[in-house]
Amino acid sequence: MAFVEQHIHDAPTSFWSKYICSYDHKVIGKQFLWFGIFFLLVGGLMAVMIRWTLAFPGQPFPVIGQLMFPHTGGVVPPDTYAMLFTMHGTIMIFYAITPILIGAFGNFCIPLMIGARDMIFPTLNMLSFWFNMASGILLLGSLCLPLGAAAGGWTSYPTLSTTLGQQGLGQTMWTIALFLLGVSSTMGAVNYITTIITLRAPGMGYFKMPLTVWGLWLTSILNAIFIPVLGAGLLLLTCDRIFGTTFFLAGAAATSGKGDPILFQHVFWIFGHPEVYILILPAWGIVSDLLSFFARKPAFGYKMTALSLSAITVLSTVVYGHHMYTTQMSPLLTQSFMTLTMLISIPSAIFFANWLGTLWKGSIRFTSPMLFSLGVVFVFGLGGLTGLYLASTSIDLYLHDTYFVVGHFHYTMAASVLLGGFAGIYFWMPKMFGRSMNECLAKIHFWTTMIPLNGIFTGMMIMGYAGMHRRLYNPFIYDFMHKLMPMNTFVTWCAIAMGLAQSFFLYNFFKTIFFSKNKPLASANPWEVGTLEWEIPSPAPHYNFKEIPVVKCGPHEFGNPNLKTGRDFQYQTEELVEVK
Amino acid sequence: MNIDRSQEMKFIQSSVAMTVTLCSFAMLFATMFLGYFLVRSSVSVWPPVEIQGMPQGLPFLSTLAIVLSSVSYYFFEHKTGGKKVNFVLTIVLGISFLISQWLLWAALKESGILVSDGMVPSMVYAFTWLHAAHIAAAVFLLLWLGFYVFVRTEKLSPLKVINVGKFWHFLGVVWILMYLLIFVL
Ligand code: HEM
Ligand SMILES: [Cu+2]
Repeated sequence: MAFVEQHIHDAPTSFWSKYICSYDHKVIGKQFLWFGIFFLLVGGLMAVMIRWTLAFPGQPFPVIGQLMFPHTGGVVPPDTYAMLFTMHGTIMIFYAITPILIGAFGNFCIPLMIGARDMIFPTLNMLSFWFNMASGILLLGSLCLPLGAAAGGWTSYPTLSTTLGQQGLGQTMWTIALFLLGVSSTMGAVNYITTIITLRAPGMGYFKMPLTVWGLWLTSILNAIFIPVLGAGLLLLTCDRIFGTTFFLAGAAATSGKGDPILFQHVFWIFGHPEVYILILPAWGIVSDLLSFFARKPAFGYKMTALSLSAITVLSTVVYGHHMYTTQMSPLLTQSFMTLTMLISIPSAIFFANWLGTLWKGSIRFTSPMLFSLGVVFVFGLGGLTGLYLASTSIDLYLHDTYFVVGHFHYTMAASVLLGGFAGIYFWMPKMFGRSMNECLAKIHFWTTMIPLNGIFTGMMIMGYAGMHRRLYNPFIYDFMHKLMPMNTFVTWCAIAMGLAQSFFLYNFFKTIFFSKNKPLASANPWEVGTLEWEIPSPAPHYNFKEIPVVKCGPHEFGNPNLKTGRDFQYQTEELVEVK
Repeated sequence: MNIDRSQEMKFIQSSVAMTVTLCSFAMLFATMFLGYFLVRSSVSVWPPVEIQGMPQGLPFLSTLAIVLSSVSYYFFEHKTGGKKVNFVLTIVLGISFLISQWLLWAALKESGILVSDGMVPSMVYAFTWLHAAHIAAAVFLLLWLGFYVFVRTEKLSPLKVINVGKFWHFLGVVWILMYLLIFVL
């Protein structure tokens, strides 16, 4: 399959062609990274504002509160609160995590790890980024509207999201921004899938690909299939908002005829459940690789891990109903969805056990990427286990829409993916920008993130278990909530601490990229890893590979006692040394 | 590496990419069909009052136009004689499809079926809008291809013809399903 001529073009020279309209997958990856980090900060600030309101109701938000809400003396107003959690969720999922994990690592790692010179359709790749940008600008723009941005939750359920729920352009712009983003992701997905299928270096069979590539590949497949489903839902919503259709208006809300708000929920979650796997699969892939790299052992059950990830991908398409247990679906359906959801725990348990198997008796190097990967193992374990509670219909009737759900989904898709993303950034930094980040600061960053993070999300789950509802401006108007006040304060302090801890990362990141010009470049292979990208100089040169490499063994050949090279690992281009 | 080999690779690559792309588009329309089924299953008598008196002739004409356009494109792709005429015919038929859709919307309005009349009319309108928007995009693609068919003939690669064709035939199939489900059954 893989013997295509891939030409080496001249490196672009002008600033414009080098950094702005670049066709180079590495540059586009970095553009996505900057984009994602920027939005991570915006979304993070919004999270802190939400938390502030919950812990200190009625008190002005420090420093910037006066500026933002002068008419309330700096207190976050209730309608703004709804806007904040909506925009926080949307931004974090679609504009921070997706660009970093899929946009940045997808672009940067796929060609390098499969031994290609670039993506197969560089122009499409560039377009994908610029659609993403347009969408981001539209979304940010909606924050400046007189009636405010969207406030119907990231799920934008009707009738909250129809013109009855929210007047003004905010929700419409949100819908259009997300549609654009969907177009961008779909273009990316077509590119990734085709690249992985047709541009693998000679010898790079599917079961010789690093698991990172597996994760990104499966993610792209889900993207290509399910983003259009959301697209259709968004179009119908736009029609309702602009062209007077009545898909989602019901009861007194509809002036004539009748629509069905639940229809949107179906469409949304047919997309939405795969979406959470879209977010987590790249992180799983990265962590599966990193655990093996830094335990200096072959990935335990590599094939089973790849197959489990694939099984999860398939299963993830048929479980969406678990988000809708409380919409009066027939018990037969809820039970089927419950069973299917529980089934996912089988492949999940398999790859999770494989992770532990990889660590078992490894000679672990506690580098910063490894710490973050171990962090993912821990938080994903917790998130996965609490998912079982929510999968069970009877328990979900009580827990639905409480902070338990918020805690659960932050553990699985926010915490795991965020930590996985950091692991990836620390790991590929030398290959991306030419210099490694400061390890000591990175480790401080890890612990100052990990500890408050667990404070936040465990705290949320406890509060949810005690009955605290999500998306409430002031839950404390209910008597039974009063005793949860200290818990809320604790969670908020943790959130503030975690927010501040990110300055260790930012300092380290900017310093390494912009203020280390006098330091020597990183060596080609600072982590001593055998995958293809570590055989070329750091930072990766314009054409990636002078010669397209020929792959002879898998990505995780570590600790073979018969190795005569003086290394404890093999490059993927070396003939496999047998362990007798 | 010889030319044939790299040509062949190009074909494989583009057919993989096209398959994925069409899967995405198929899911978009599949979601609309799903919505249509859900709407339809919630209606006790079919056709419901909201869409009684829907025009029958125009959708039939649309179907005719799009089927013929696909056929002429097929001849353009596969037969050697009279190539360019078939290509022009495809575009003309494609535009007639759009016109017939426009007339359909006007006729719907004429017979008192409005977008805001409820879910069924909403669905009829939104579904046809969505499909027509794709047809319009595809007509632009055809015009773009026409530039190579008539002006820059030396740059006309079979891949362009095949890929635009796949998209065009795909939209034709979607319309036939829509026609059967919405206007016939
Ligand atoms: C890291 C610090 C974070 C904190 C302190 C935090 C905090 C919060 C809070 C307080 C809410 C409001 C819950 C509610 O009222 O229902 C929320 C909602 C949400 N968060 Fe986060 N979050 C963080 C990171 C993330 C990340 C990285 C993601 C990305 C996957 C994320 C995704 C969401 C989503 C999807 C919602 C639901 C929004 C909605 O109700 O519509 N969060 N978060
Ligand atoms: Cu789900």
